[in-house]
This record gives sequence, C-alpha cells and structure tokens, in this order.
Amino acid sequence: MHIPDGYLSPASCAVMYAAATPFWYRASRKVKRVLTARMVPLIALFAAFSFVIMMFNIPLPGGTTGHAVGSTLVAIILGPWAAVIAISVALAIQALFFGDGGVLAFGANCFNMAVVMPFVGYYIYHWISGRSELTSLRRPIGAAVAGYVALTIAALFTAVELGLQPYLFRAADGTPLYAPYGLSVAIPAMMGPHLLVASVVEALVTGSIISYLQRVNQPLLMLTTELPAEARERAVASPRARILWVGLAILILLAPLGLLAPGTAWGEWGGEELRELGLGFIPEGLERLGGIWPAPIPDYEVPGLNANLGYILSAVVGIVLVSLVTWLVSRIVVRQSTKI
Amino acid sequence: MRARRGFIERSIADITATLEKAIFSEELARKEGLLQNLDPRMKVITFLALLLAVSLSQGLLIIVALYFLTLLLAWRSRIPLGFFIKRVWLFMPFFTGMVALPALFNIFTPGEPIVTLWQTERFHLAITIQGLRTATFLVLRVGVSVSLALLSVLTTPWATLLKALHILRLPQVFILILGMAYRYAFLLLHTANSMFLARQSRTVGQMPGGENRRWIAASASTLLAKSYHLSQEVYLAMLSRGFRGEAQMLDTFRLKPSDWLWGATLLALALLAVLM
Amino acid sequence: MKMRKEPIFELERVSFTYDGKVTALREVSLAVAAREKIALLGANGSGKSTLLMILAGLYFPALGQVRAFGNALTEEAFKDESFAFSFRRKVGLLFQDPDVQLFSPTVWDEVAFAPLQLGLDQEEVVSRVEEALRLLRIESLRDRAPHRLSEGEKKKVAIASILSLHPEVWLLDEPTAGLDPRTESWFLDFICQLNEVGHTVITATHDLDAVDLIADRIYVLSEENRLIAQGTRQEILSDRELLLRCNLTHEHRHRHERLEHAHPHRHPERHIHPHE
Repeated sequence: MHIPDGYLSPASCAVMYAAATPFWYRASRKVKRVLTARMVPLIALFAAFSFVIMMFNIPLPGGTTGHAVGSTLVAIILGPWAAVIAISVALAIQALFFGDGGVLAFGANCFNMAVVMPFVGYYIYHWISGRSELTSLRRPIGAAVAGYVALTIAALFTAVELGLQPYLFRAADGTPLYAPYGLSVAIPAMMGPHLLVASVVEALVTGSIISYLQRVNQPLLMLTTELPAEARERAVASPRARILWVGLAILILLAPLGLLAPGTAWGEWGGEELRELGLGFIPEGLERLGGIWPAPIPDYEVPGLNANLGYILSAVVGIVLVSLVTWLVSRIVVRQSTKI
Repeated sequence: MRARRGFIERSIADITATLEKAIFSEELARKEGLLQNLDPRMKVITFLALLLAVSLSQGLLIIVALYFLTLLLAWRSRIPLGFFIKRVWLFMPFFTGMVALPALFNIFTPGEPIVTLWQTERFHLAITIQGLRTATFLVLRVGVSVSLALLSVLTTPWATLLKALHILRLPQVFILILGMAYRYAFLLLHTANSMFLARQSRTVGQMPGGENRRWIAASASTLLAKSYHLSQEVYLAMLSRGFRGEAQMLDTFRLKPSDWLWGATLLALALLAVLM
Repeated sequence: MKMRKEPIFELERVSFTYDGKVTALREVSLAVAAREKIALLGANGSGKSTLLMILAGLYFPALGQVRAFGNALTEEAFKDESFAFSFRRKVGLLFQDPDVQLFSPTVWDEVAFAPLQLGLDQEEVVSRVEEALRLLRIESLRDRAPHRLSEGEKKKVAIASILSLHPEVWLLDEPTAGLDPRTESWFLDFICQLNEVGHTVITATHDLDAVDLIADRIYVLSEENRLIAQGTRQEILSDRELLLRCNLTHEHRHRHERLEHAHPHRHPERHIHPHE
C-alpha cells in the first residue's frame, strides 16, 4: 500500500502531489483559522496514534496477521479534514524516518491513504450510521463497512497509479521503466489481498474500536459535533466544489508540465539509438489501445510523436481520473451539506 | 515463518525494532562525518535532486553509479557500511524482488527472449531482455532511493531535519505538528509495548482469535483515549507558554563555503545523471 | 509578610466541575499577594491541580469570580490579544507530568518555545535560552530529545522552559513527585531562591516535608474539594488533627527503640516525642 520510490515515474509523482495539494491546503487553512489552536496537539496526537496502530498485528482466521491503516477511524473521530493532516503526518514520519513509502511517492501515498481513504470512510460511516443513537449497532457496522470500503478503494487507486506506469513510461525497446505491470495485472494483484485480508483487518479494527468506545468512552465519538458551531458547519459543508475545482485546474495545468519534463530526456535518449537500430518505438499498451480507437495512430515509426502521444494519453487519463474523484467527492459533499 | 509467530510477539518485535532504530539513527547523526557537517537545508535539496535523478535516469549503469555515490557518502559519513547495505537490501528482495520476479517473463513483459524455459506449439515461456531490464530497473531504483532517504535520515538529527523542511515552503504549523507527532509516537509506542508485554506475561498457551481481537480493540481504544486526553493537556501546556496557533521557529543554520561546494557537487552529479 | 499589597490573585467562591459532572472545587475563596510563598495542600483528587489551572488562566470556572493583576480572568478576557500576551508572560505553570509539558523535538527548542511565542527578537531568545540552560546546568542536554531524558532531567528541562519566560508568578504542580532525593532537595532550594529574588511561588502538593520549606502560608483543601483551612506554615503543620482529616498524614505502627506504637507521622523527618 505504501508505494516506495522507483515504482512511479517522476511525472506521476508530480501529478499525485498536485492532486493532494488542494486537500492539504484546504485542511491547513481549517486548522489555522476555523478549528483554532486546539487542533494542533489534537492532530499531532492522532497522527502519533495512527502511526502506533500500524504496529498492532491483528490475528486473522487461518493463522496470519495483518495491521490496519486507521485512516477511517481517525476520520470518524476527528472529521475528514483533520484526518487528512493527521494521516499525512503519520505517513511523513514513516517515509522520512522508516523508509516506508517513498519521498517522491509521498504525494501519491497521501492521496490514496490520507485523502481518498478518510473521505470515503467518513461519508460511508455517516451514510450508514445516519442519525442513529450513539449506542446504536449501526455505528460499529457503519464503521466496519466504511473501513472495508475505504481501504479497498484506496488500494484500487494505488493499483491504477501503478498499473498506468507501463503504458506511459517505456524505454525504446519496450522495457517498462517503472512499475512493470499493466492495469490488467496490477488491479487484480492489488485487489485480491486487500479484498480478502487487508480490508478485513481494517474493518475489524475500525468496527471494534468504535464498538468499544460506545461502551467505554462515548465523548470521543462526539468530538466532531463538539467543535465550535462555525467549525462544524464548515467541516461538513465547506469544501464545496470551488476549492476542489481550483485544485483540479492547477492539476490540469501541472500535469502536462510534469509529464513533459521527463519527455525531453526520454526523446533524446531514444532518438539516436533507435534510428541506428532501425526500430520503431511502439509502446505496447499504446498499440493495444490504438486498436480501440477509430483511427489507428498513423506513422508510429517516429518515436517523438508516439512519445508525445504517450504523455498526452497519460495526462488525459490522469485528469479524467482525478476529475472523476473530485466530482464524486464534491457531489457527496454537496449532498451531505444540503441534508444538514 | 512469520505467520507462525503470535501477533503479540510480532507486535512487540515491531515496536522494539522501531524504538531501537530511532535510537541508533540518532547516534549516527551525532557522529562527525561528511554529511553530518553538511547544512541540513543543502542536504534536503541535494538529496531530493539525487532522488529525482535516480527516478529520471534511464540508464541502469547510471543508477548503479549513483548507488556507489551513496556508498561513498555513507563511508565518508562514518556509517557502518555493512549495516547500511544490509538495512537497505535485506528488505528489498523480499518485497520489490518478489514483485519484480514475474516481470522477467514474456507473459508479463513481451520482448526478445534470452533464455527460453519452456517451448511447445502453443506455449512459450522465456525470460526476455525487456523483462530483465524492467525488473532490474525497479529493484535498483527502489534500492537506491531507499539508500538515499536512509542516508539523509541517518546523518541528520530528526529535529534538525524538521527545521530544514521549512525550506520546502512547508507551513510551519505542519512542521510543528510533525515534530509533536513524532515525539508522542514514542510515548504511545512505550505504552503499547507495556500493554503487549503485560498481556504476554499473563498468557499461557494459545488464545482464541476472537478473544485476541477483542483484547486488541480494547487496548487500541485505551490508546486512542490516552491520545485524546494527552492532546488536551498538551494544548493547555502550549497555551500557558503563549501558544496562539502560530508556530514560531528559530533556525540558526548558516551556510559555510564547504556547504556550497558539496551542494554544488552533488547537484551537478544529479544533473549529469539525468542528462547522460 | 512585610507589606500587605493588592492581591495579584483573588478567588471568590469559585466552583469548578469537569464536563458538568465531576466536581473538582466547591466554593473556594483565596487571595495571593505578590512575592508570597504559598502552598495548596491537599490529598490526591482534592482539586489542587484544578485550582492551579484556574490561576494559570487555563480553566475557567462556571461559578465564582477570578481576578488576576486587577482584571477578571475569563475566557472572554483572553480573546484580547494584549491581555493574553501580558498574562502569559507573567505566569508560568509547571505541569505535574513533564511528558505533557515537553512537546518539542529538542531541549533547546523546548526552552525557546515560550520566548518565541511571545515574539521576542532572535538575540533575546537565544540569550534567554542559554541563561536558562546554564542556571539549571543542563547545557549538555541541549540537543537531546526531551522524551529520552530521565525523570529528573525532564523536570529540569520543564523548569528551564518556564524560566526562559521570565515569569513573575510560578505555579508548580507536585514539583517533587518522581524526583530522586538529591534533585528534590536541589529543587526545593531553587524554589526558595526564586522567592527570595522576588517571585511569587504557588505550589500544589501533598508532600508535607516539602511544604515546610517552600511555603509561608498554606491553604488546605479537603477531600470534599473545599478549602477547609488557611494559615501560616506553623499553624497548619502543627494541626495534626486537620492533616489527618485531610488524608495528608497517617498513623502506622513503628518502633522507637523497644516500643512499638502508632501515631500520626511524617516520614523522612526524624521525630522525637516522649514515651511512657
């Protein structure tokens, strides 16, 4: 789940940083202005907590063990925005200090585990638990389902990011330069273990902790409603499409830039050698996709053109993907806010 | 093997390893050595550039060369090389190596075969040049990136590294939170460790999985409650010393001529690696 | 007291409850003048820590009046930046648990936190930190992480972190808890010196031997969270019946030469009394 450096191209890393940045920005504004100074130690301690919770190995039927990420749990207790920072901080400590997850891939890891996961988890939990009593069974069940779905979706994002690499970044002879497996391999390879093991652990941990807190420490389950009214209103209603669209616009602007950066190096490297060999550069994935398109790519003997096509395609896929998430999140957020 | 060990043993082992790593790193960071003397901001910038170079470079030899550079830097920074190499590569084959293994074959990476393992009318299994190269790329990139990250962390005290992050335009409040999270992670780790040890000392024989999970839910919740309680107290402690939500920091870093020299050299090497 | 001045702290019938449920203080009234040396004496759970938190402007009681330096001490008042600034600057609080108070990555940062938050300029910050480290003789700890120190060292760092604030009023919560005998006696000495150079010192404790040294005047809190007695050190400490009632001293059997008997008793001190 923690992507190390080397699996993602620098361009993809840049795109993922760009995708996470608007959420970080938004979250830090909240910490600074709306949620008051009290949030600083609160977020720090919950980041520390989620760091430690990853050390808890959970026994699973069959004799294996696994550990949880805890993003959903933190999102349920602190709200999704505070969770964005808390989990990012936990991931930063892991990346910087323990080499778990890359530095360049930090943006991607944060997007998957500190943005997608808390938001998905938070809204699923609220969707299932609704306005039920604090002691209602709907809450632990909602938390478990939320934990399961959120981690699975985060894993899906990870798989897509990894799976896109070989389509986009190949050397002249077709050697994938980064993660070597396409979507058709990456997605099942990632989803299998998550659907069967990791997400189960996440569900067990999230659900049973919420259930335990119901019996022992109910005030902790009411933290998000205890925040000042202004903060609460914003915490739920605010992200509104606007800020996310701004983020997306930045992303769209940045994506081609980030993607072009390695392009020059790639083109230079490939050109001479290819002509000598008399080989055309055919990205394998592109070739396959080419068949789907009505007009086949004309003369793919020219390396530059195909390379550029690769970049453009990657940009398009990246942007479509991020737009989709952004749209989904904003839809959910807006719907949620109209309800309240 | 790992599955055989109980979850308590594994958890304790993880926690202990984490605590030990931290203490050992801090020791190395206080030694007198090349990278220890480099200005931390310069170190952050140059190591990011080197990381990028590893990621951007498309020549295996260049990446290998960058690896030798990290070994050289580690040696000049008085980091025990055996430890440094083991720490990076012992974990690598287990994960990335396993991930990269199938990519060797034509099933996953079509291309020119170099070793044919199985050939019939309908089925052809071979290791391809492309497969070999992609697997090597992956393992090398990951290994060298981890080496670089590890090297910068081992030669910089955590608190100094935190302050140096400010140069990346990271908001101060993030840095404050990051520092506090790290500090309290240790407190919580100690608490978790004693919970596990107490549990271990009271457990004879095997416990059913369900009971174990309930115990974990209880202790994780206790830890959660403790985190919350501590955060409230720490807030008051910060408040009483004038905290108003703004992080204030004082960095006393001064760039020496040698910092510029080393910075420029490392940056030039990174640039060279990308251009070659 | 040499001169009865305007009190710097005045509490009038202050009651405090946590979450509207647990009562920590019932109708407490007291007054403290500048340069006084005061102890709040009470058993665990008597509300003395809460009382210190109120004096430090961290908790605000729902019932009763609190005045400090001639101003009402309310949550509202602290919204005024200049009031908050001047109050925090004057009042330093030593928390009972140093882990709560020490949240920074290094000892140096910890001691620099308050001066930086108060917006002092860089030179002033550095000189105050160095002075505090020197006075407490902990210069060698400057780059260490506070969470890796021994309990005694932690306490010293916590004191240094307040010292660098240059407060007029020191509020100390169980300052001798968890200290080894030598550090404890050093610290009691330090408190006396603070007072001699003109600081107000208010100490919450249940340690009768410490009180002997660090208080001229004593307020006693009962286990029912009421202020049940106040007076000079001699008056309070000689009232054995009162101390017994407040669970501050106890009777147990012990031996005087050949006689075994029970009487109220304070430990480290040698006591002499007639035996029949």
